Amino acid sequence: MTGRSMREEAARAARNRAAAPRAARLIAPLLVFLLLAAGWQWVAFNLKSILPSLQSVGLELLARPGFYLGHLWVTLSAALSGFAIGSAIGILLAILIVHFSVLRAAILPVALMLNVTPVVAISPALIVAFGFNAVPHIIVAAISAFLPMLINALTGLRAIDRDAQDVFRSLSASKMETLWHLRLPSSLPHLFAGARLAIAAAMVGSIVSEFMGTSKGIGATIIMATAYLNLPQMWVSIFVSAVTSLLLIGLVDLAERALIRWS
Amino acid sequence: MPSPLPYQAPAADARDSIAVKGLAKVYGAGADRVEALGGIDLTIPRGAFVTLFGPSGCGKSTLLRILAGLEEKSAGAVTLFGQTPETAARAKNIAWVPQSSALLPWLTIRDNVLLSRRLNRRADRDPACVSRPEDADQVLRELGLAEFAHHRPAALSGGMRQRAAIARGFVQGAPLMLMDEPFSALDELTRDALRLRLLEVWERHRKTVVFVTHSAAEAVLLSDRVVVMTPRPGRIEAVIDIDLPRPRGRDAADSPAFDARVRAVKDTLRRGWEGEE
Repeated sequence: MTGRSMREEAARAARNRAAAPRAARLIAPLLVFLLLAAGWQWVAFNLKSILPSLQSVGLELLARPGFYLGHLWVTLSAALSGFAIGSAIGILLAILIVHFSVLRAAILPVALMLNVTPVVAISPALIVAFGFNAVPHIIVAAISAFLPMLINALTGLRAIDRDAQDVFRSLSASKMETLWHLRLPSSLPHLFAGARLAIAAAMVGSIVSEFMGTSKGIGATIIMATAYLNLPQMWVSIFVSAVTSLLLIGLVDLAERALIRWS
Repeated sequence: MPSPLPYQAPAADARDSIAVKGLAKVYGAGADRVEALGGIDLTIPRGAFVTLFGPSGCGKSTLLRILAGLEEKSAGAVTLFGQTPETAARAKNIAWVPQSSALLPWLTIRDNVLLSRRLNRRADRDPACVSRPEDADQVLRELGLAEFAHHRPAALSGGMRQRAAIARGFVQGAPLMLMDEPFSALDELTRDALRLRLLEVWERHRKTVVFVTHSAAEAVLLSDRVVVMTPRPGRIEAVIDIDLPRPRGRDAADSPAFDARVRAVKDTLRRGWEGEE
């Protein structure tokens, strides 16, 4: 057998081995999904005040797609703005902390305090301060996105190869050069891990902050649905926001794969 | 009592040699005080290939790091061709080859090899800078990496990555190369091939090399001089000249003369250090 045909043979065998698990990987979540849906329908049928039937949820979405898209857009733009601002501040502070160790003791306690403060508790104060507009929601989203980014950026900026650091030092590379040519590129996987957490946190932050002081956004549609005991509207809102968060995380994954091509 | 050193450092012009005098390195203080290096005197003439050889804990890597300016000394004096390690590093006069290849995974091999040109541009105008950068493509050819110039490190084998790290050192064109066990993570066959390859390229460039290893055979094959070091505290047991003819090729390690040198190096080490089980 020639080398080439042996390689092809090996590749075919590998494909066959992979085929079975791949099918299992598709079927297993599908089964879980069907099981959950069946359980859902059982509850919806027997305890009507707890869950709406899935078909009523589907029909609600199909009946008013524009209504949900409009509100989703409000939530999404606040979440994305907050994500951008919160991540930028998180990364900048991480860079400062890595270079000036004094700042670590100064910044981290404040950041952690901000993290354990429930956003629902801050948003009324922000509405009082900034009024009935998008600003309070963006700030809450930014606060939510900030800490996961800061922590991951800190880990990433520190996780540099010691030998590479020695090479940089032996060349007397400046701090800026080391940051730009070594620390930042090394930290990219951590930055993306942080971005995945931060973007989901920003979505949650903007929805929760929309529970108050606004009639726009997915948070507002949930509150409206509560007031009118409109279970289908409530669940469409919940599903729409969950699916959006998943899509956003998927986008971060795509960006990561496009940018990090060396591993 | 240690026996007197069989090797006496020749008096040489400071600008033409590496001089280490009374060097000591101490970590910690009080009960935690550890003397990593003590009373190190060493002279290395320009153009020599010198190996620091000894067991773990003998301070050979610490000595190399002090030469590179990567670590501070506790006492003594170090000059590299008349410059302090700090001045030499600021002027990019030291090429450091670490234990792992330390290539940047996001850069191609060619860009990695050119790293010294990308960083610390101030040094290029520094009057203290005596490095003369070499042609990257030429050095890559010499190390058999020409066709991988545009690959990223992940596409290369461990041995090839190590060759790229050595290429990065030579391309810098520094008069002094400091190599910290660059072959220790490789399998034996790759290591053998790489030693010969390094010798070949070194013959062409004739940089002063200080090379750390814990292999006596590697030390004898590569060096003009083997500095035998013993631990606790790290000190120089003896400096042994290796008078085997150069260039040393594939059969250099097969001669009785070679075996005798390896035995001499090992015996010298054994005289100063019983080893530990």
